[in-house]
This record gives sequence, structure tokens and C-alpha cells, in this order.
Amino acid sequence: MKARQPRMLLFYRSALVFYPRRLRLAHQEQMMLALAEAYRDRASTPPRFWLHAFADLFESSVTEHLFMLREHTLQKPVAFYTATLAVILTILGGAAAITMQQMLRGGANQPQIDMAEWYASEIGSGEAPGNVIPPGYVDMERSLQPFVIFYDDHGKPGPGTGYIDQAIPTPPAGVFDFVRSHGSENVTWQPRPGVRMASVVKRVGGKGSGFILAGRSLRVVEEQEGLLRRMAFGGWIAVMLLLIGGAALLNRAQRNRQVAA
Amino acid sequence: MGKNSTPDPGTLLPLSAAVFSILLALAGSEKHGYAIMKEASLPEGGGVSMGPGTLYGSLDRMMRSGLVEETGFTDNERRRYYRITKFGSQVLSAETSRLNHVMSAARRKGIMEGVRS
Repeated sequence: MKARQPRMLLFYRSALVFYPRRLRLAHQEQMMLALAEAYRDRASTPPRFWLHAFADLFESSVTEHLFMLREHTLQKPVAFYTATLAVILTILGGAAAITMQQMLRGGANQPQIDMAEWYASEIGSGEAPGNVIPPGYVDMERSLQPFVIFYDDHGKPGPGTGYIDQAIPTPPAGVFDFVRSHGSENVTWQPRPGVRMASVVKRVGGKGSGFILAGRSLRVVEEQEGLLRRMAFGGWIAVMLLLIGGAALLNRAQRNRQVAA
Repeated sequence: MGKNSTPDPGTLLPLSAAVFSILLALAGSEKHGYAIMKEASLPEGGGVSMGPGTLYGSLDRMMRSGLVEETGFTDNERRRYYRITKFGSQVLSAETSRLNHVMSAARRKGIMEGVRS
């Protein structure tokens, strides 16, 4: 007749669930056989025996999970981690470069914002545009100086200091339409191909209603943006080369020690 | 890693006490799990008291590392038998040699005086 198994053996079998599934499926029967034999041959009292058995079970199950985690990590090809890191660094680097570019571009609107505010306020309070805007001549194609231009309610140029070919240019009508409903607008204005201006257009209310446009050439800012793009691209290439070199070394080291686990 | 390339036994050193005792137990003959546990617990087997969890966790990893293998034999009590591989013997030899150097150094420093061999 088959001997009745101690209840603790059944508990132990249930507790095998703490082991990683693959290990449990491969060895649980052998583990139970070894435990049953050890129980039969035990030199210690049952409580001490089971205390030792369960302590071993919990400690080794944690160890096996850690080993499995480590192996799982090692088994993933280095290329996977390299590619993931490359994508993350590219996104972070790209975001940093775009942020810096936006800051450069945003800085190009100064001092035009202050100028537009001041002239709009003066003209809006009743001063004639010709009295407020000082005489001056800024060649928009060559000069880096800021300029200011007044346009009447229909978008027709009035007094101003910004010129191209000795005439005051007019922005697209859509700009005035937008400013008419929104109050102001910061735009990159291209009065001629290759000539770009950081412009701030503000609505002028009151008796002499119209628009004030304050602008400045974007040439220097665009040169800085070009330098930033070249530096970002060079840095990205350098980081990618470092990653690929590091991955090659890691791959070699991993091959050498994979068995050591 | 491909099975054709044999790694350097030195890359696995030092062995854990459990792995060393299992290899030592299997160096004499093929054994089933409980026999390994019993031999490892003896002073000459390393005096390592391990339960089934530690034993089979270690055996599983050792099999995947090529140190031991199943013989394919199962006795009447459904117990599987394990044996040491050629690579496992090389690793055991390398570890024993390493421990021998340690013992020599300990003797030179007088640490072994009064310790029975």
C-alpha cells in the first residue's frame, strides 16, 4: 500500500509556483522526489526540516528569477539596445536643437516688439504718424538695423524707414487681415526672394488707425541657425559612432562571458 | 553563443559553493538529485546544505552552460541521473587549482596552523 504523503509535501508542491515557469515545468517532479527522500532520511525534527526546506525554496526562487531576468537581458541582442538608445538620443538631441532654434528665432523679434508697441501707442493717442516716425533710410536687403513703417487702414504704406530699391514694400494683405482681427502678429516677411525679415505688425487704433510694422533682417539669426544645425548634425554623427563602437565592444565582451552565467 | 565554441574554463571562476559541490559530487559518478544533495552536505563534499530549489536551479543553469548533462537514465523511482561533461571537468579542475593556490598562500601566512587536513 502506498504510504500517505505528509501534508507539508503538498504545501511544498503548491509553493513551487514561486519558481520561474520554465524551471518549474522542467524540474518540479525531480524536486519533489528529492524532497520526499530527504524527508525520509532527515536527521532533524520535522519542524526544523520544513523550515530549512521552505527557506531554501523562497531564497532559491528569488535567485532563479534574478538569474532569468539577467539572462533575458543578456540574450537580447546588443543591436536592440543600441538602436533604442540611438532613437532616444536622436529624439532628445533633436528636441534640444529645435528648442535652441526657436529661442534664437524668438530673440530675433526684439527690439521690434517694443518698437511696435511704442509707435502704435503714440499714433493711437492722436499723434500724426509722420511726426512720430523719425526720418531715416534702412536698406532692408543689406542693413541689419531695425526699421519701422506705418500702413493705413487699407494697407497702403505711409511714413517709414524700411526700403527696398528706394521704395517702401507692403506685406501680403492676409497679414493685415489677421492683425485686424487679432491685434498683432509676429511674422517672417520675405519682401524679396532671399531677403527675410523678423517682423512685428501691430494694429493702431484711434483717429489715425492703421498698422505699424517693425522689422529687422534675419540674416545673422539665420547664420546662427545654420551653425547650430551643423553642430547638431556633427554631434549626432559623433554620438552615433560612439554608440556603434561601444556596441561592438559590448557584443564581443558578451560573447566571452555568456556561458559564465 | 554557438555550441561549437568552447569557452575558457577560467571565465566561469570562481564557482559558487553550490556549483562546486555539485561538480565535485558528479566527478566520481553519475548521480540523481538527492544523491548529489547528500554528498554535497558531507564535509568532504564541501559541506553545502542545499534544498531541492537550490540544487535544481543550479543544475538547470549548469546544464545550459554545458557543465553537466542528463544521462537519459531514469530509475524505478523515476529519478533522473546527471553526469559531469568534459567541459565541466575542466572547470572543476581549474577551480580546484585556484583553491589550491589560495590554500598555499594561507599556509605560507600561517593561517592553516592547528587546522587538521
